[in-house]
Amino acid sequence: MKKKLIVLIFCGFCLVAFQIHNTIVFKEPLKWPKANYDFLKNPLSAQKIELGRALFYEPMLSRNNTISCASCHSQYTAFTHVDHDLSHGIDDRIGTRNSPALMNLAWHKVFMWDGAVNHLDVQALAPISHPDEMDEKIENVIIKLQKTKIYPNLFKNAFGDSLITGENTLKAISQFMLTLVSANSKYDSVMRKQTTFTLQEKNGYSLFKKNCSSCHKEPLFTNLEFENNGLPLDKDLKDVGRMKVTKNSKDSIKFKVPTLRNIEFSYPYMHDGRFKRLSDVLKHYTEKVQQGPSLSKQLLNPIVLTSNEKVDLIAFLLTLTDKEFIFNPKFSYPKKIFSTTPQE
Amino acid sequence: MIVSFLSIPVAYSQSEAVIAINFIPKFENSFLILNDSIYSKKSGDSIQFESLKFYISTIELLDNDKVIYQEKNSYHLVDVSQSRSLSLSLKTGSKIKFTKIKFNLGIDSILNVSGAMGGDLDPTKGMYWAWQSGYINFKLEGKSKKCNTRNHEFHFHLGGYASPYSALQTISLNVIDFEKINITLDLEKMTHEINLSKQNKIMSPGFEAVLLSKKVGQIFSIPQP
Ligand code: HEC
Ligand code: HEC
Repeated sequence: MKKKLIVLIFCGFCLVAFQIHNTIVFKEPLKWPKANYDFLKNPLSAQKIELGRALFYEPMLSRNNTISCASCHSQYTAFTHVDHDLSHGIDDRIGTRNSPALMNLAWHKVFMWDGAVNHLDVQALAPISHPDEMDEKIENVIIKLQKTKIYPNLFKNAFGDSLITGENTLKAISQFMLTLVSANSKYDSVMRKQTTFTLQEKNGYSLFKKNCSSCHKEPLFTNLEFENNGLPLDKDLKDVGRMKVTKNSKDSIKFKVPTLRNIEFSYPYMHDGRFKRLSDVLKHYTEKVQQGPSLSKQLLNPIVLTSNEKVDLIAFLLTLTDKEFIFNPKFSYPKKIFSTTPQE
Repeated sequence: MIVSFLSIPVAYSQSEAVIAINFIPKFENSFLILNDSIYSKKSGDSIQFESLKFYISTIELLDNDKVIYQEKNSYHLVDVSQSRSLSLSLKTGSKIKFTKIKFNLGIDSILNVSGAMGGDLDPTKGMYWAWQSGYINFKLEGKSKKCNTRNHEFHFHLGGYASPYSALQTISLNVIDFEKINITLDLEKMTHEINLSKQNKIMSPGFEAVLLSKKVGQIFSIPQP
């Protein structure tokens, strides 16, 4: 009897402990490098991730409640802007850069094409405050959220406090973005020896390793460095990339190497969306690389590809499509949260 | 037994020892009042300050160059429009004697790359740069007829943590009173270094921000009696 009681009490304790410490451990896919994000400072939990997801789809983050993060980062195009070269924001204002696809952000050290943002947590502040994007102040966002029916509860469940702060808002948005891991493309299955490439894809993979993988490094398909891949400066936008941040001329027209995962969906390509098709991209790398003092050394010698090889290389790039990621219901608009008003 | 008996009163007095630090913003000899025009005797112009906010961090007390106290989690937002924020208190435990106080004006590079933080460091405090991440160390805004800008406004948002444009300033001052440290900052010493008709806006890290931050580091003083 006594024993039973102790066990019962103990189990009750376990349950409580479990509810308080329902931390989700971030697991890197097999053979991937360790994530860069410091999860100790923002331990993942199901409630925080759900809150972050709601915030990601929340138009209240913009001045006139029309634009959410998802407006420019749509799941069905690997979280980039559908079919726009330069992103469109509030009042249809047009920005100066193409919105990058969002995935595997836990491995990134700095954010934006030029690395101007130094931590994932503070990333959201940039679009929220940008006059061409959401044109709002984080101070107002907090006030608006606090006045709603759903958010004080969601914050209470996630952080144990219904008082909404900037810190918790940003940490929740980070949590959702950290879960956007794409690691289940055909390429990944082949690496796990669960399937095989076609001959064409196999040949494309060899060409890729020879010509592209120094910058688009596996398994993330980016080395996360800043490189100049030989694109001529756009005369109107005059975007000098990394040099904008460092003010050092050796960084002129260098941009953060983008991932090539889900590249099938994330057109148009490059920081200003100048190319619509992968064939345009290959034409650039084989014929149009512009020499210049900051050109990355891998591109000093021209890349030579026959037209058959180009087809093979594109066939390989299409193996980086991860349908599970694009259609993962955990990443989509959180209908359930937005349609149910909680009791009370 | 005896030891513990003796230690009780000591422990009691330990929790009592508090050192008060007050920041006293001035312009020449007058106390600074926000949104009031102040006439400068030195330059013959009038100037109006609308907002003055800055971070004080990493406070240390020194006795002959030896650090004898370091505040934990030492960062404070001083906002002149919130008079309570002008006074800080250090809980030193026991009473200590020291000759110097040392602190940073601004937020150091480690905290600048640590993501979202709360309290005085919460990004809703209006002291965080969104588009290029980093804290604003010192923010001064106001109006002067000399500024050829909209509403004659000037905006100085000084910050930047990455080399070679680190704007953080370390300030070290000799102390006379061990219980109450009154630190004056005379804005006139800053504004007379600036030609407001030419320079009235700094909003990002860079060479200009570093140069002006160095001057701002000089405006803090502990007046000798
Ligand atoms: C108006 C369109 C727009 C909106 C709205 C928008 N973004 Fe973006 N996003 C962009 C653009 C454009 C960039 C690239 C900007 C740059 O490099 O300067 C970007 C970059 C990013 C990056 C960096 C990715 C990388 O690889 O470095 C992240 C993360 C991100 N956005 C998340 C968000 C979040 C979270 C929100 C909502 C709070 C949001 N975005 C809202 C257009 C938008
Ligand atoms: C020297 C480093 C480097 C090499 C080598 C390189 N790239 Fe890139 N790649 C970049 C950079 C940097 C960008 C972004 C440039 C920009 O937007 O200004 C980029 C962009 C791209 C994009 C557009 C991605 C997007 O989401 O917009 C594709 C596609 C691409 N590269 C494919 C390739 C292929 C295929 C190869 C090999 C033939 C290759 N790259 C070789 C550095 C490199």
